[in-house]
Amino acid sequence: MKGNELKVKGLKGISQIAITLVVGMALIGMASLANAGGKVYKIGLSLAITGPTSDAGNPYAKGVEDYFRFVNDTKLLGDDKIECTIKDDQYQTDVTKRNFEDFLDQGIVFYLNYSTGSTLALKKDFDEVEIPVLPASFHAGNVEDSKYIFLPIASYSEQTILLAEYIVKNNKGAKPKVAMFIHPSAFGRGPVSDLEKAVAAGLGIEIIEVVEHGKDLDNTAMLQRLMSKGVQYVLCQTIQSPVATMLKDAARLGLTAKIFGEAGKITFLGAHYTGGNDLIDLAGAGAENFFWTTSYTITSEPGAGTDAQLSLAKKYGRDDKAANSHNYANGVMVAQVATEVIRRAKEKGVEITKKALYDELNAMNGDKAYQPPTTVGPVTYSATDRAGVDSLQIYSVQQGKFKKIGEPITSEFIKKIK
Amino acid sequence: MSYFFQIVVSGIVVGSIYALAALGLVLIYKSSRVANFAHGQIIASGAFITYALTVWATIPIYISFFISLIITFFLAWSVERIFLRRLIGEPIISVIMVTIGLASIIDGLIYLTPFGTKNFSFPQFLPSEPIAIAGVSISWTQLVGVIITTLLIGSFSWFFKKSTVGISMRAVSDDQFASMSVGISVPSVFGLAWATAGLSAAAAGGIIGNITGLNFDTLHAFGIVVFPVVILGGLDSILGAVVAGIIMGLIQQFAGGYLDGNWGLNGTGEVLPYIILLIILLIKPHGLFGIHEIERV
Repeated sequence: MKGNELKVKGLKGISQIAITLVVGMALIGMASLANAGGKVYKIGLSLAITGPTSDAGNPYAKGVEDYFRFVNDTKLLGDDKIECTIKDDQYQTDVTKRNFEDFLDQGIVFYLNYSTGSTLALKKDFDEVEIPVLPASFHAGNVEDSKYIFLPIASYSEQTILLAEYIVKNNKGAKPKVAMFIHPSAFGRGPVSDLEKAVAAGLGIEIIEVVEHGKDLDNTAMLQRLMSKGVQYVLCQTIQSPVATMLKDAARLGLTAKIFGEAGKITFLGAHYTGGNDLIDLAGAGAENFFWTTSYTITSEPGAGTDAQLSLAKKYGRDDKAANSHNYANGVMVAQVATEVIRRAKEKGVEITKKALYDELNAMNGDKAYQPPTTVGPVTYSATDRAGVDSLQIYSVQQGKFKKIGEPITSEFIKKIK
Repeated sequence: MSYFFQIVVSGIVVGSIYALAALGLVLIYKSSRVANFAHGQIIASGAFITYALTVWATIPIYISFFISLIITFFLAWSVERIFLRRLIGEPIISVIMVTIGLASIIDGLIYLTPFGTKNFSFPQFLPSEPIAIAGVSISWTQLVGVIITTLLIGSFSWFFKKSTVGISMRAVSDDQFASMSVGISVPSVFGLAWATAGLSAAAAGGIIGNITGLNFDTLHAFGIVVFPVVILGGLDSILGAVVAGIIMGLIQQFAGGYLDGNWGLNGTGEVLPYIILLIILLIKPHGLFGIHEIERV
């Protein structure tokens, strides 16, 4: 009796294995049929979907995901498809490294990274495997001594220097006194020395103080100290949350300039990750008259970029917050650049490899510059130019919305200090 | 002179909010000798519940704030009932490890909601113009925060000193076995400690969220930011949390107002509280108001 039971169990086991094998092979067959004639290009993205800075990373990931879905759905690359694996690293460099190594095992030809810390830490790895990388960090140090990292837009240094140039052009009276309000990390500190170099090269501002913020509930003391030193402008290079708290405090103390450079008040300005709709969400009315620069178009201004961004977000069912985020635009843009280099390499009939895409990025200049709809200028790269979009647009918060100030401009002093 | 007084006022405001945020840690430690590493997540949860009730359920913020206190009271009580009750009698380190795990679970749950990765701010419900007296200003949000903090801390002090339940909680804190022998239900006391800690954390979350805006990273970080306050105050002392909170707030503001930016110093407001904490702990190892326990063998 027992022997019979064992036999029946054995037969059942064999038949289950057989069924699994048949179903598995059928699925593999269907998958290959579905992509018949097309190739799959693998791309990896590791970023903070959860954890610190995930308020930026989350919409960024959605932007990347949506654009690659769009590419595949609309057959922008013909029968070929892009397969982008997105992994959460919770803003931890060790996890990013592990994700990157997993991606390499999967055979990626292009890599999208996120934070300043992990980009700096993995720089040697990128060089070793010779893979082109677009990070979400615009830290100027990313591209130093590295051939394979390309910044999507002008560096934080360039953004900060451009804002300082804007101050010089629009300040009335004596040499403007400026303080920097920065994140206590490489991300925040990056532009400080470059701004100091620009000042040494003749940029007409006086840097009174560099403040590294903490987790402050109240910035009264700091703001009063800056006022007592005659500071008229505060340049921020950090994330939105500490800027929002500072702006609220400044508004409460009656220190916020109602117009740019108002005497006896402070005008606040900031680089890419300080601004956007999230700042308005956090600071409310305190964000009024905050000046911000980025190379992206924003959805509070009508235009082709806004239309493209909103329609993509709508197509893939994104909510209003993600759809209107400049970090969503940021994610879309890096996906567009990656797609464009694949398209160009394909057009030439060359095999899509890391090297082919790297070469295409380096050739992206002159009449081969690439103009995504969501940036204020073209993306240009070369062996010596590692910042994609060089133009920057200045925006300021007017009645609760970021509005354009003038036309896109480029920094003069960044060239002098390079 | 207004410069000085403004810094004093800001220091007291910040300090009293620290005290309120620290209160939950003190309440749990006071009854169970456990440091709750999920405290920051409970602070954030309180703020998010208030926001959800106010904005999504369109309940007036005054009411939604109190509802959130009640919800968080029961949430924290449930947490104790489900996860921690079975650990009574186990080594304290096991319970602490569970609170670390709990922090990860709450993190994960919050990341499943829009609050995990999106920023929000409470609708303006107080006058935006600050109150200014002799050049010293305080916002309505800060003032209301200080008033709520004072009320809650006063209530808790009364509760622990005068009410039967409060005295039972203190008795459990002193000696669990002796308390049981006189008929006090230790598990119920632990549950109540977690529940009241949840309530105070939610109040702190609502106030901090009104000041900084609702960003999960910022909010849950306060669970760790207030640890020095609790240690300086003496871990199990409510009065200690209040005094230490205000000391910390004043140190931060004075450092920011007078030291930073001078003599090449920067960020002293972040470091100085820890330096002073170390000095005080060298002199008073149990904190300013902590109980010095002597065990006779």
